[in-house]
Amino acid sequence: MSGLALRQGAILALALLVPSLFVMLAGKDPVATWGVLLGYTLGSWDGFSDVLVRAIPLTLLGLGVAVAFRGGIFNIGGEGQLIAGAVLAVAASPLLQGLGWFALPLYLLAGMLGGAAAGGVVGWLRTRYSANEIIVTILMNYVFLQLLTWVIRGPLQEPMGFLPRSFVIGDGLKLGLLDAGSRLHAGLFVAVAAAVVLQVFLTRSAFGFGLDVIGRSAEVARYAGIRPARLVVLGLLLSGALGGLAGAVEIAGVFHRLEDNFAAGLGLSAIAVALMAGLRPALIPFTAILFGIFHVGSGALQRQLSLPFPLVWIVQGVVILAFLAARAVQAQHGRRT
Amino acid sequence: MICRPCASRGLRSPDAAANARAGQLSTPLLAVDGVSRRFPGVLANDEVSLTLQRGEVLGLLGENGAGKSTLMNILAGIVSPDAGEIRVDGRVADLRTPRHAAAAGIGMVHQHFTLIGAMSVCDNLALGERRVGGFLVDRGAIARRAAALARELRIELDLDAQVDALSVGQQQQVEIVKALSGDPAILILDEPTAVLAPEERAGLFDLLARLAAKGTGVVLISHRLEDIMACCDRVVVLRHGRVVGSGAVAGLARDDLIRMVIGDEIVPVERAPAVPGEAVLSVQDLVLHRANGTPAIDGASFTVHRHEIVALCGVEGNGQSELVQIVAGMQSPDGGTIDYRLRGSPLIGPQGVATLRQHGVAHIAEDRLRHAVLGDLSLADNWLLTALFPRALAPHGWLDRAEAARQCTAALRQFDIKARDAMVPLAHLSGGNQQKLVLARELHDEPPLVIAAHPTRGLDARTIAFVQGQLLQARDRGAGVLLLTADLDEVWALADRVMVMSAGRLHGPVPVGSTSRHQVGHWMTGPR
Repeated sequence: MSGLALRQGAILALALLVPSLFVMLAGKDPVATWGVLLGYTLGSWDGFSDVLVRAIPLTLLGLGVAVAFRGGIFNIGGEGQLIAGAVLAVAASPLLQGLGWFALPLYLLAGMLGGAAAGGVVGWLRTRYSANEIIVTILMNYVFLQLLTWVIRGPLQEPMGFLPRSFVIGDGLKLGLLDAGSRLHAGLFVAVAAAVVLQVFLTRSAFGFGLDVIGRSAEVARYAGIRPARLVVLGLLLSGALGGLAGAVEIAGVFHRLEDNFAAGLGLSAIAVALMAGLRPALIPFTAILFGIFHVGSGALQRQLSLPFPLVWIVQGVVILAFLAARAVQAQHGRRT
Repeated sequence: MICRPCASRGLRSPDAAANARAGQLSTPLLAVDGVSRRFPGVLANDEVSLTLQRGEVLGLLGENGAGKSTLMNILAGIVSPDAGEIRVDGRVADLRTPRHAAAAGIGMVHQHFTLIGAMSVCDNLALGERRVGGFLVDRGAIARRAAALARELRIELDLDAQVDALSVGQQQQVEIVKALSGDPAILILDEPTAVLAPEERAGLFDLLARLAAKGTGVVLISHRLEDIMACCDRVVVLRHGRVVGSGAVAGLARDDLIRMVIGDEIVPVERAPAVPGEAVLSVQDLVLHRANGTPAIDGASFTVHRHEIVALCGVEGNGQSELVQIVAGMQSPDGGTIDYRLRGSPLIGPQGVATLRQHGVAHIAEDRLRHAVLGDLSLADNWLLTALFPRALAPHGWLDRAEAARQCTAALRQFDIKARDAMVPLAHLSGGNQQKLVLARELHDEPPLVIAAHPTRGLDARTIAFVQGQLLQARDRGAGVLLLTADLDEVWALADRVMVMSAGRLHGPVPVGSTSRHQVGHWMTGPR
């Protein structure tokens, strides 16, 4: 037991020391760096509210990743599904004018449909043609990126037709700010609710259990009478829908219109968010906050210490590696006893 | 009474036997001294001590969960002991990892093969080899060495053959050659006979005798008395992690050994004569082709009635596994009809697993860990596994975990499954207890058709008797049982009728009383 604690302590120390070393190599003060990173993001409402803003799409997208990964379906296409959802939701938004309070749920539903369609295509290709979902989803990310590039210069471009961005969605579709002084919006509730619902659904329903079984062994699933093909398609539909919801929420809460790069970097971070949470929906909001800290903190470090951006990536990378190492040590310890 | 293939003993040179005797006086090749190892809730090894001499074949006998595999995993460097010492040639051996164990001169043949099917024999042998200069594989040298070793052991080894294409017995020979390639002084085999047909078994024993004649110390782990009596010089018996007896095999009676292993006599399975009822399963002209176009099943027809056990025998790879998979709904045939008369309306034609389970088909799968259970999940979740899609424990799509835990806990008591509770991971259970859980789950709702594939393979005598008793009970309450087995003792203990698959063709079924073991054996080993 003490051996385990010792090794995990060593890993934690390395996680603090290695990035500090790089910071020193860059000629900066490591103590000040950690101070700014944690002080701004956790010690000020300005910083922490921004962390939460970033954690909202990461949570929703991370939940989508978790649904798929639990079933052994490696959906790397979260970013594409997020864009698909955002595009469909924005495209549908003019039709929702004048529906009152009913408009926002329909708008979010449109986002989910867009994402689900993008995910469903992958499920169909995988079950019908045994296509490798990793390759398909990676390639489809580019397809949806190009779709976004096109629609904001074509069919959905703002009325002026000047800048490459879409028209602004109706005021009724915007997610309200929770605090006038920050950017934090009501999407926070959507993300938390989604995490709770997913946690219950994946651990208590026959669907969630079946997905878990498929993820562990397709052969056992077949023996148990679970039809893998059906669950894989349903799993990808749900996974995509969560990605699409993330896109619709991000537009409704932060951007209010489609722009180039509004989703940049979310897809890969969401995979790390889901994996760090051990694919457990209830933990995903917390790992999403951790990644929000890095994202927001990197901006603060640039502004306050003019620390180059890549250094923050090093910190992030080392923290992820240290976390995985700690888990591996724990798993190894569990096997031996 | 005990049949000892004379070859295995006769081949032993008198010198080696003399060495073995002389060795008793000098330093033993291997000395295990007071080794203990605790797992949560179980003392798997409790101050185990034993010795092995040069040129000796030592049998390690015990029930499932007696601690044999733990001890062997300690020797192979896979598990580290909590206490005790292991000496090789009188020197304390450092067995921290499998690599250390190999360096100490201990070679291991695992129960589950570690070969890669898609690769050639030679490539598989090359996998474990040290690389020239760190990364180059000297295939020529490996091939030469393997060929020399095969010649010495008088086995035929086709180095270019793909492993998938070999029989199980041949694959085991490859495993043995692989284990011997580091020239170990000690060779350990974990349940090597479990997967072998009777004639392959004799071949293995001959091989071990030749190895011993060369001076290698051999440890054979088995729970089959016949194996120990056929090929071992000495035997050490483990029970509940302790050594409960040992001695020269020649001086021990079979009954003594049985008493040592289980503590008391096993009550033989009682069975009443069969009174077959209506048909539950009718198979007509079933055909299945392999990927290469050759027939795996070449027109099989048979019927299983209520109140009877029909045994299906065959040497591995003759199509009987596929036949069982089709009947259980896990594979689709290329032709023929299957009628099920189960609960509710009759089912005509091949069906999916979910439908069959709903109508009352139990399936005890041939390869437990590949098909029937998930080691990481708890016992209760494994109980849920097959109750999901007939919706028995998932009404309206929501899991009834409380009910699953209740049923599973009741089964633990009823089937005497050794587990702390229904929440422990299945992997913590011994193989015999895992199989009991599968049996309890599959028989839980009194299914009219029970498909049992090798239900007692790899189990100890007591568990075998229990499993067989359960199958007979299922028959007596009116189920039809299709029993896939390679063990003729089991056929004669359980079955009312027997049929044999050989090269895809079905012989029988015939009443067990109207045939002889000789006839069935002849069908099994007939021209392929």
